[in-house]
Amino acid sequence: MKPYRWILDHLKVHWFKYMSGLLMALLVSFLSIVNPKLLGRIIDDVIKGENRTILLPILLIMLGVTILKSLLRYNFQVIFEKVSQDVIFEIRKRMYQKLQLLDFEFYDNTRTGDIMSRMTGDLEAVRHFVAGVIRMFFENATLFIFALIVMISINVYLTLCLVIVIPLIIFFAQKLVKDVTPTFKNIREKLSALNSVVQENIKGNRVVKAFVSEDFEKKKFHEANEAFKKANLESAHVWQKYLPVLDVLGSSLSIVVIVIGGIFVINELMTFGEFITFNSLLWAVNNPLRTLGWLLNDTQNFLARSEKIISLLESSPKIDPEKEIIKKTVYEGNVEFKDVSLKYEEEYILYDVSFKAQKGSTIALVGPTGSGKTSIINLMCRFYDATEGAILFDRYNIKNISAKQLRNNISIAMQDVFLFSDTIENNIAFGVPNISTEQIIEAAKIAKAHDFITKLPQGYKTIIGEQGVGLSGGQKQRVSLARAIIKNTPIMILDDTTSALDTETEYEIQKSLKQLYTEKTVFIISHRISSVKDADLILVLDNGKIIERGTHQELLDHNGYYAHVFINQMGNFNDEEEARYAKE
Amino acid sequence: MPRNKYNVDEELNESFNKAHLVRILQYVKPYKKEMTTTLVVMILSSIAGLVGPILVKNAIDVKIPGKDIFGLLELALIYLSLIVFAGFGLKYRIKKMTQVGHQMVATIRSDLFSHLQKLPFTYFDSRPHGKIIVRVVNYVNSLSNLLSSGIINFFVDLLSLVIIVIFMLLVDVKLTFIGLGTLPLLIAFIFIIKKSQRRRWQTVSAKSSNMNAYINESINGIKVTQSFNREDENQRIFDEVTDDYRMSWMKAVRVNNLFWPVVDNIANLGTTLVIVAGIYWFTGSMTIGTLIAFIGYLGSFWAPITNISNFYNQIITAMAYLERIFEMMDEDVVVRDEHDSYDLPKIEGNITFENITFSYDNDINILENLNLKAEKGESIAIVGPTGAGKTTIVNLLSRFYNINSGRILIDGHDISKVTLKSLRSQMGIMMQDSFLFSGTIMENVRYGKLDATDEEIIEACKTVKAHDFISQMKNGYHTEINEKGTRLSFGQRQLIAFARTLLKDPRILILDEATSSIDTETEKALQEGLENLLKGRTSFIIAHRLSTIKNASKIIYVDNKNIVEEGHHMQLMQRAGAYWRLFMSQYNSIKESGTIQD
Repeated sequence: MKPYRWILDHLKVHWFKYMSGLLMALLVSFLSIVNPKLLGRIIDDVIKGENRTILLPILLIMLGVTILKSLLRYNFQVIFEKVSQDVIFEIRKRMYQKLQLLDFEFYDNTRTGDIMSRMTGDLEAVRHFVAGVIRMFFENATLFIFALIVMISINVYLTLCLVIVIPLIIFFAQKLVKDVTPTFKNIREKLSALNSVVQENIKGNRVVKAFVSEDFEKKKFHEANEAFKKANLESAHVWQKYLPVLDVLGSSLSIVVIVIGGIFVINELMTFGEFITFNSLLWAVNNPLRTLGWLLNDTQNFLARSEKIISLLESSPKIDPEKEIIKKTVYEGNVEFKDVSLKYEEEYILYDVSFKAQKGSTIALVGPTGSGKTSIINLMCRFYDATEGAILFDRYNIKNISAKQLRNNISIAMQDVFLFSDTIENNIAFGVPNISTEQIIEAAKIAKAHDFITKLPQGYKTIIGEQGVGLSGGQKQRVSLARAIIKNTPIMILDDTTSALDTETEYEIQKSLKQLYTEKTVFIISHRISSVKDADLILVLDNGKIIERGTHQELLDHNGYYAHVFINQMGNFNDEEEARYAKE
Repeated sequence: MPRNKYNVDEELNESFNKAHLVRILQYVKPYKKEMTTTLVVMILSSIAGLVGPILVKNAIDVKIPGKDIFGLLELALIYLSLIVFAGFGLKYRIKKMTQVGHQMVATIRSDLFSHLQKLPFTYFDSRPHGKIIVRVVNYVNSLSNLLSSGIINFFVDLLSLVIIVIFMLLVDVKLTFIGLGTLPLLIAFIFIIKKSQRRRWQTVSAKSSNMNAYINESINGIKVTQSFNREDENQRIFDEVTDDYRMSWMKAVRVNNLFWPVVDNIANLGTTLVIVAGIYWFTGSMTIGTLIAFIGYLGSFWAPITNISNFYNQIITAMAYLERIFEMMDEDVVVRDEHDSYDLPKIEGNITFENITFSYDNDINILENLNLKAEKGESIAIVGPTGAGKTTIVNLLSRFYNINSGRILIDGHDISKVTLKSLRSQMGIMMQDSFLFSGTIMENVRYGKLDATDEEIIEACKTVKAHDFISQMKNGYHTEINEKGTRLSFGQRQLIAFARTLLKDPRILILDEATSSIDTETEKALQEGLENLLKGRTSFIIAHRLSTIKNASKIIYVDNKNIVEEGHHMQLMQRAGAYWRLFMSQYNSIKESGTIQD
């Protein structure tokens, strides 16, 4: 029931157009009877009866009817196309809106191929239903009922004999529906899986080539391809089981009429003329019943697919980005973590993390791979919510601040750099779409990206490929950095943003960033001591816990993990070398 | 050539033409038998269908007036058997045609996918991935019905047409010509709209591809979108792109919908002409029965014509998709095995770059006249400013791109003359972005050597110091990595990709920033394990951390399209050139950090 109500809701807006379309379709059906009748009259009266005076009028009427039919038909077809397109446009729009609201937990657990299927194939089934199936149901139903009414008015008993076949048809129709529905669901699953296999293969095309695993990929693909094919054939198997039965039952009505109607005529329970009329109406009863099977098929497909769309539209993110209790929009940049723990899929990623960052200060996070540094960032941006403890922005609990508002106050250059297939300038201006070119260049200069960009043949207007292809790793990082810089926010996060850069460039970037640093609260994650040594507070994480904290010197004095790392990084150089090779 | 982005329609290389038609028929050929038998079955069913009205006529004219109830029952029985026969015919048709249709589609998709595996990086890099996916999955899907039932129905209709025309000619030749005289109008109509119709459907296909590309990229980049609060702007762009699609669809469909009205009116015109001609001009030479029969046949003529014009519509739509499918299948493989290429024997590891010049787009050269020699077992560290061409050098060694001029030799073999498989299977390449597939950690590492045992995999993970964190996870090696890779930290993913590369036991190892996201402690420990592995193998290491580079056999500094400095650490330090500067800046920056109080 739900999908029907849902689609009707969407059609409501267009109900006037849609209704007029349906009426036009009905009119065309009835007009289809007119010309054959007129032709009959020509044959009887003009040709056989040699009455030529009515020929011209009749021909003109036929011409007029055909033209009218054409206009109506063209009109209603366009109406149905337009309405169906408008309906799926609306649905697609809402799906996209929803997708933008959903949180990381959703995306962690949902495959891209599945989402793509919902927005393409599933919507197509909806379109087909609105543009074609509903109309055909309506046309066939009205035709059927009208014909039945006329038949009843001619001879009730004969009509009753016809109607006896109907329960049989309903029985088989129900069996068809019951058997076919799971096959449509299965097709959908297999299509989504196929989509995912292709997705990954394309996304990882470099890895595939590097590992010469083309054959392995083809095998993976072959499995998904065959599974999809099999799913379709299983569905077709159900069709070939029931559709012919429904077809035969529908056609058998003619036999019923001939035999029983003939008997009635022979026994003078019915006139010959009535019999002929009955016969001529059979197609209006026959065809709808024979089409019923196909229409039910399409409807089941629609139901299976729309379920997927509805379930997406009904998902709610755990973290509602727009829900807010606190109306404040601009924050100063004081951040505090109070006994924060984060549990993810039953494992603790962070334990009891506490620290205070005053506005304008620089906090560095260091620690071994996987110790939880990026998780702290994720919590700050409310991509996930803490399991225990509280995070405060300017003494407000961030759970009460809308995620959107929060993110308005943070600009972040992520570790896993993602750039869009668009121009470099559009990528830099991603967070601030209407910014001036001067400001874009300004940000690029600070990120030390301006030079290499201007050396490219199309400069800032160079289109980079999907995920930043076309730029080297270090260039990508700098564009991502510029993207974060250009957004003027009280809090800035740099997550390992210079790992692909040489120290010289990194040093220059740090110099140019220093000005920004004083006005902002900056979080830096890095593995290089050189990047973090000037921070106001350095937090050392290991296995989700803060094991050391302090300034660079304090940590050196503490002689723990940090000092150890320092020695190692320092120990790559020794004083002898310095003495021997240092010039100046 | 600028890259294609989501709102730029892709240009079409080659419009649908006869060659494409031949190709699509190649896919149909294997099913000749099934299609012929189905055709026969359908023709028989149609004939059975035609008999029906004759039986009815007989009932009306003979049996009923004759009060012949048994005769009536006889007729009914015959009619029933005909209907049942037609039912079986339908069953056969559905079964065979769905089999054929879906198998054909699966084959086309498989060919497309196989070809895709051969295409060079530039193909994937120059357009949004969504556009590629939509071709392999969606476009191919739309062909299923057309290629099976569509073709069969077309032949049935064609046959019906021929039979009816023969009947009409047998009845009266002159009337036939008059009745069919309006057919040229239909042909003229098709001619007039053909170009416009084709173009509109091509636009639909391009816009649908744009829309899919944008949706795909939006999903992939959702984290960035949400970080930057870019939802509204994205929505605006999305609405534009989908609106484009909607409008293009309406434009195309309006032309398609013209067919039925046109055919209807032309048919009516023909019938009118026949009636007028029959009544006024041929009264003497023709019986009434003839005229009436003829009008009946004429009616039967136009029904298949309507069907065929629907089929034509479907073909025009499908052609727009087929063009793109074939375009991808015809895409030049660029980096391929020559027909005389031979397998590279087991690599020793002596590598020579001879006068290498390379550019990506035939634009500016990235490398010019570069020369490099590496002996077996040497570790070559490649340093230099970003974008200078470090990754390019190793990409060329792996033959991911073709060189513009020069040669690369491994043990004296020109790598462009050996099979790609024999080349790359002996190399371990770890690229900057370490993509992992969805699956377990075990499966991902196993990707490096598909027949590796679990022990081998664990061993590789131990070497890269990944074993510890993997074992600490609840499901250990059987932990599922999701598509977005969020179960692991970035550095952890890098380590797994590293293990994957090492599992291959490669003769040449290429590490492009392989440990850039890993903390220095882990890296140090890793390197100790790595040193053993690297003994006797030639390796190329791109890194910025001097700890990584310092102990290389040879360090090359790449800048300005070439190698500007070459030598080992001490030599280069003595030169006091670019490398020295690099070293000193790292040194200074850490030295400034103060010293440890004892």
